[in-house]
Amino acid sequence: MKNIYITLVFALFAMASNAQIDRSVMPKAGPAPEINLKEPQRFELKNGLKVLVVENHKLPRVSIQLRIDNPPVAEGDKAGVSAFVSSLLGNGSKTISKDDFNQEVDFLGASINFGSQSAFASSLSKYFPRIIELMADAAIHPNFTQEEFDKEKEKILTGIKSEENDVASIANKAQTALAYGKNHPYGEFSTAESINNINLTDVQKFYSNYFVPANAYLIIIGDVNVKEVEKLVKKNFTAWTKATPPSFQFSKPSDVQYTQINFVDVPNAVQSEIAVESLVDLKMSDPDYFPALITNQILGGGGEGRLFLNLREDKGYTYGSYSSLGNDKYAPARFRATAQVRNAVTDSSIVEILKEIDKIKTQPVTEKDLANTKAKYIGRFIMALERPETIAGYALNIETEGLPKDYYKTYLERINAVTVADVQKAANKYFTTANARIVVAGKGSEVLENLEKVTFNGKTIPVKYYDKKINSTEKPDYNAALPQGVSAQTVIDNYFEAIGGKDKVNAITSLILVYEGSAMGSKIKTEEKRTADKYAMTMYMNDAPMQGVIAKGDELYMKQGGNKMPLPENMVADMKNALGIFPEQTFMATGKAKLVGIEDVNGVKAYKIDVPGEVVSASYFYAVETGLKVKEVSTTSMNGQTQAQESELSDYQEIEGIKFPGTKSASLGPQKMESKLISATVNKGITDADFE
Amino acid sequence: MRRKLVLAASLSLVALGMQAQEVAFEEYDLENGLHVILHQDNSAPLVTTAVMYHVGAKDEDPEKTGFAHFFEHLLFEGTENIERGKWFEIVASNGGQNNANTTQDRTYYYEVFPSNNLELGLWLESERMLHPIINKIGVDTQKEVVQEEKRRSYDNAPYGRWREVMSKNLFKNHPYRWQTIGSLEHLASATLEDFKKFNKMYYVPNNASLVVAGDFEMSATKKMIQDYFGSIPKGDAIKRETFKEEPITQTIKAEFRDPNIQIPLIMLGYRTPEQTNREAYVLDMVSTILSDGKSSRLYKKIVDEKKMALQVFAFNGSQEDYGTYIVGGLPVGENTLEAIQKEIDEEIVKLQTELISENEFQKLQNIFENNFVNSNASVEGIANSLVRNYMLYDDTNLINTEIDIYRSITREEIKAVAKKYLNPNQRVVLEYLPEEKPAN
Repeated sequence: MKNIYITLVFALFAMASNAQIDRSVMPKAGPAPEINLKEPQRFELKNGLKVLVVENHKLPRVSIQLRIDNPPVAEGDKAGVSAFVSSLLGNGSKTISKDDFNQEVDFLGASINFGSQSAFASSLSKYFPRIIELMADAAIHPNFTQEEFDKEKEKILTGIKSEENDVASIANKAQTALAYGKNHPYGEFSTAESINNINLTDVQKFYSNYFVPANAYLIIIGDVNVKEVEKLVKKNFTAWTKATPPSFQFSKPSDVQYTQINFVDVPNAVQSEIAVESLVDLKMSDPDYFPALITNQILGGGGEGRLFLNLREDKGYTYGSYSSLGNDKYAPARFRATAQVRNAVTDSSIVEILKEIDKIKTQPVTEKDLANTKAKYIGRFIMALERPETIAGYALNIETEGLPKDYYKTYLERINAVTVADVQKAANKYFTTANARIVVAGKGSEVLENLEKVTFNGKTIPVKYYDKKINSTEKPDYNAALPQGVSAQTVIDNYFEAIGGKDKVNAITSLILVYEGSAMGSKIKTEEKRTADKYAMTMYMNDAPMQGVIAKGDELYMKQGGNKMPLPENMVADMKNALGIFPEQTFMATGKAKLVGIEDVNGVKAYKIDVPGEVVSASYFYAVETGLKVKEVSTTSMNGQTQAQESELSDYQEIEGIKFPGTKSASLGPQKMESKLISATVNKGITDADFE
Repeated sequence: MRRKLVLAASLSLVALGMQAQEVAFEEYDLENGLHVILHQDNSAPLVTTAVMYHVGAKDEDPEKTGFAHFFEHLLFEGTENIERGKWFEIVASNGGQNNANTTQDRTYYYEVFPSNNLELGLWLESERMLHPIINKIGVDTQKEVVQEEKRRSYDNAPYGRWREVMSKNLFKNHPYRWQTIGSLEHLASATLEDFKKFNKMYYVPNNASLVVAGDFEMSATKKMIQDYFGSIPKGDAIKRETFKEEPITQTIKAEFRDPNIQIPLIMLGYRTPEQTNREAYVLDMVSTILSDGKSSRLYKKIVDEKKMALQVFAFNGSQEDYGTYIVGGLPVGENTLEAIQKEIDEEIVKLQTELISENEFQKLQNIFENNFVNSNASVEGIANSLVRNYMLYDDTNLINTEIDIYRSITREEIKAVAKKYLNPNQRVVLEYLPEEKPAN
């Protein structure tokens, strides 16, 4: 047998060596490959569970996906109940404790995860019988306990609280609630009130109503045998009681009559979140689904999209700008063109996004653009096919989206068939600049003045206002009267008075402050040394110095080990405003400080003083009542990205006649760290060597 | 034909299906000596074309180091039919991805394309093998790129030079004593002729293996391979020297000061057998027991319970001629390097004197099986494994049988191998320290 084969191979070579190729010409791509997706085998249980099995013996592993394709569910005044269901599922079962369950899954090197109406597991194929048993047991006989419910509630409430001032999540809420309405399943969102409305019985009820087999699909892919799968599925899932979920009616949302800006004021925002959105009726089975995909890809699909090239590469407004086009068989989906931009360019960014949408509607794309977009799209589509999850998703889409059986097999041909005219047609059908909502979440005091002047195609775009709960509201008033006679100078004078008096403050020639807190399991200590014109900060992790900042004269650099990294010049100029024993002494002397208003800091009214800079801007907050400083914010904008670092100050303690904040709560994005004052050393212990 | 043909027709696959994995492949040699490996998998319409050259840093002249890695860059500069600077554009605008990498033992170049661009992939690799352009502008450009890479990845990177110091101490005679990045002085002084000579010697079909993996049609692909690669002239036979190292019998103490770090590092390095040796596999298991995951022995004790170290690690760097086994850690706060070393040594002694428990053994098997399965999850990964197994292990089918080696390792062997190789007098103790005085 072997010899015959070898002979054949040589014969082939002999033939082949006569062939002529012209290697000076780059080979052309062959016809779009057909996708050899395996046809899943199907069977159904009496309870309605539909099972799809794709045998793939290449690797001895299996994935199991359970998806329940129910219509959208409105959770109403108990919005958030589905989040409980998804986290409380998978904590063992009626007969296996949570710890035993987790330990066994770990030991087998497997994983099992649950959503509120879904589950996913993966394992080596030899452990498949046990994993499907554990998964079914946890799904059908969930272990809902009051103890886990309470823990979860705590987590969810903390999550909601931490998102209160988070621009991205406010923007997200606003975009869905405004597009669909707050009573639509896609527009509702959970609040502390709705979470507090929920109890364990509601979780149980949601689970019994919706975690039912009528619309459920179980997709099993991998090194399994259909017969064995059928046996195991029957054994483990027959106990799942037959039931159909209750059905709902909800109103059909519609686009706005005219293009408008919907503005949500987020006073702490350092960047604006912009989304130009509109509703689209698009299903995967629509004949122009593929042209629509390609059109969106050209407009805003990734780093080669027009939005990215314009707003980031050309204008430098943002770190990235993209668009997305959804599809949905139950309700309208959304087209969205989004960007996170720095405050000052919020208005210009909106105009540029609208321009790009208009352009793709009115001007045909070039053949080259279309060809390159197809090539990249196809490359990505194909690379994704290697993952079993992708295959599972496709098999399911064919079932649930009413697609022809050869939908994915002919996917590449359909992509390749898209023409320049198709793109323009799709752009006109699915994108709008006439009935778009432009949802902006940002800092009104800095962006509104220009936002109200935005014009497009010769018309001013009206602005409507919403609060953080996405209720219609009045335009915010930023001129909240400052009391007569209050100025930056009086605020700072009061502050020095409050911490011990100007004389004592002025008598300080050097100061060492040490704070300690913990983050990510490590002890973090910061040591600041200050004189009138020098500054040194060292950060220690578990007592080992990690990095530092040193400033003296015109030098300002970061220090890591023996390495000194000078900071950019424009940054140095800004940071100098924060030097001195107290930064107040320095920024008052330079005249850069501006009293801008009164804001609320954790329920306390505070004067806000801004010290603007080119790269780094700072804001300081002083309580109206006590005069003490309650918050510091420093905002850095570089390369299209903006980051704010906040520090709340409280628990003032007197040391050598001066009051220092005993607690500093710092936050950088979602990370938070609370530090305590360890020591304050006045007028001793500092030498020039400290600033080397 | 050097190797037996492995034919696993898709029919027999189904039968074998329930019995672990079976990666089917065919292999043969062209007349010019190019070894070809084909792995067909039509489940996704993508195809990997890759060439591995049996040349790495260890094949370099001790006075001209860094050449193999330099070629990893140089061979993207263009060919007689591919204009300079166009390589990456061709790949991207055809929906593909590409890259290359170099080790002490071999260099690997690959592309992944949608399968209707298989011919393009073959053309690119055959162009690279047949007539790459090696000229002044390309060499000068890449010299700068490589200098930048050395600064970024080695000289300025915290802990970036441990391998260099460890290798120098573990190997006195073998070329493993220098690094793939090589010496910038050697590269700077190298002439165009030096590079052309190196190319002529090593980047030839008889020193290379082509692998095509993914969605393709067998006979048409063989014909294309013959068309594009068959006419590439065979190179001269390659003479490889063998280098022997004397066993280490007394602890070698080494110290290095790195200006980029604050926290010192202790590293214990052992010279271990070549990667094809069964004992090298046993040492892989030893490193997993010691430091893979939060329930591993060193992590659990030194990091988790005693909180003496920020991080601990153990790994077995397998190579063609010798392996390097490294154990070490970074202390927390006031803990000394000696204290960390003492804790590590205690755990090693425990492995040398006590059998691991049945439960730990079973978990170990599960971890290896999972790693093994997932390492073959992508077609590109399979292509790489196939050609590496052929070139460096002389057994292409190892992709299917390697797990059997791990499965056959016993608890007793783990104990015995730990005892044979991991002794204090057989190692380099490297104290990798911050600079004494910060440079002002």
